Formats: sequence, C-alpha cells, structure tokens
Amino acid sequence: MAPKAKKPAATPAKSAAPKTSKAAAKAAAPPKVDAGVVKAKEKALRAKKSVVRGTHDKKNRKIRTSVHFRRPKTLKLPRAPKYPRKSVNKTNKLDQYCLIKYPLTTESAMKKIEDNNTLVFIVDKRANKPMIKMAVKKLYDIEVAKVNTLIRPDCEKKAYVRIAPDYDALDIANKVCCD
Amino acid sequence: MAKVKAKELRGKKKEELLKQLDDLKKELQILRVAKVTGGAAAKLGKIYTVRKSVARVLTVIKQTQKDNLRKFYRKKTHKPKDLRQKKTRALRRALTPYELSLKSKKELRKQRLYPLRKYAVKE
Repeated sequence: MAPKAKKPAATPAKSAAPKTSKAAAKAAAPPKVDAGVVKAKEKALRAKKSVVRGTHDKKNRKIRTSVHFRRPKTLKLPRAPKYPRKSVNKTNKLDQYCLIKYPLTTESAMKKIEDNNTLVFIVDKRANKPMIKMAVKKLYDIEVAKVNTLIRPDCEKKAYVRIAPDYDALDIANKVCCD
Repeated sequence: MAKVKAKELRGKKKEELLKQLDDLKKELQILRVAKVTGGAAAKLGKIYTVRKSVARVLTVIKQTQKDNLRKFYRKKTHKPKDLRQKKTRALRRALTPYELSLKSKKELRKQRLYPLRKYAVKE
C-alpha cells in the first residue's frame, strides 16, 4: 500500500499542474472533456510510477496458525458424462421365477407341511433368505413367517419356508402341486 | 401354448413382450412342479419348448433394444463403448485414413517437382 499512499499525495500536485495548463491552453474546450483527459493522464502517470518503482506489497500475507500445510479445499464437480459407458444395463437374471426352482415332495417335506405349516423348496444356490421370502410372497400371494436354508450335499439349496399362521400350507401345497 | 415364433414377436411392443415373458416363465414353473410330482409325459416334453420360447422372447427384446439404441446414437459423436466399432484394440488406436494421408511440406514439394512420368515407346 506504500506506493498507493504516495500516489494520492503526488497526483493532486501533478493533476493541478496539467489542469491549469490545459485550462490555459484550451479555454474553449468544455470541462467534461478536460476531466476525462486529466484522469487518463493521472492513470498513465500512476502506472509509470508503479512500473519504475516496482510493487512491493507486504500487507497481503496470510497468517499461518499451524505448522502443517493442509491441502486447500478445491472445486469438486459432480459427474456429467457425455455418454453412458454401457448402452444397456444388465437385467436381473435371478428373478423370482429363477430363484425358486420347485417344491420338494418327499415324505419329510410332506410332514413339514402338515405339522409345521412350512413349505419346502429347492431354491437357486445364490438366493438368500430375504430374496426367498419376497419371491414366495410374489409367486403364491402368502405371508411368510421365516425362512431357513441349507445347502444339500448335491449342491442344491433347500429352503424351509414357514408360513404365517393365518395361511394354511396344506391348501397352498394342493393348489401348487395339483394345478 | 403353441410354438412362439420370432417373426411374430418382432412386431410387438416391449410391454407385450415382457408380459409374454412373464406368462412363459409362470408356465415353466408349473411344468417344473409337475416334473417333481410325477406329471404326464406331455407336460414333461413341453418343458423344452417353453424354455426355448423364453430364450426367443429375451433375444427379441434385447435385439430390438440394441437396434433402437444404435438408431438413437447414430448421429452423435459420443457413443457408448459397446455401440462403437469393435475391430481390435490396435486397429482402434491406429492412425485414421486422414492422418495417414498427411504429407510434410518437403514431401509435397518433391511430389510436385518430380511427378511420376509416363513414357510411350514409339513403334
């Protein structure tokens, strides 16, 4: 700010001189043009001074309160892709029809239907309990209490689907198997 | 259900196709249950045709989808990568025909000054 502090002091002195000389030279010229010309001259002189002296500005240094230099926060733009990388997204190959393969009709499965109100399904190995629950709900329109799963020795997944007490497993089984 | 033909499927809309797919899959489910509970031979034989019909419907869906996307991106500069030319990795990175045709000033000068002359031998 030192050069600038000096400039206002200098320029009035300098502006006074050109003004009077200009006024003397062009008495007929209107005052507006005079002021414009004077201003331009002032600006030129100021620029010349700063170039000659050099701008040594000391007053804009930041105060460092910590020894560490932390990366400043910069602008992070969200993604705006010009084209999708894949034209078509993958369809879900494991839909409800693929999930549940078929119900089991062994004697022990029959026992489960009658006694424990559960249905026994052979299910895709990649299925998990919540997926099985949803699939059974969708396919047979029933409420499921819980699902237990195990993987058989022949690498098939078996799901014991316990049905809510207000539905009857026997009815559903008859509807499904004897359709 | 009669045999599903691809020709008939291609005219249909996406919702219709998806509905047909759903129906076919339901039927497949029923057939699979019949297989386990000891169904008639007719039912068991049908499993194969239904499976292939499902495949046919899915193929038609995918093909029309891809086709429409290609039409959509035809005039655009930035296409998805699977709609661009596949060729080979090296070919994709090779110089374009325009880039190959560029000649240096030196070469152009030579060509202009010393063109290929054709001579005729007098009989």
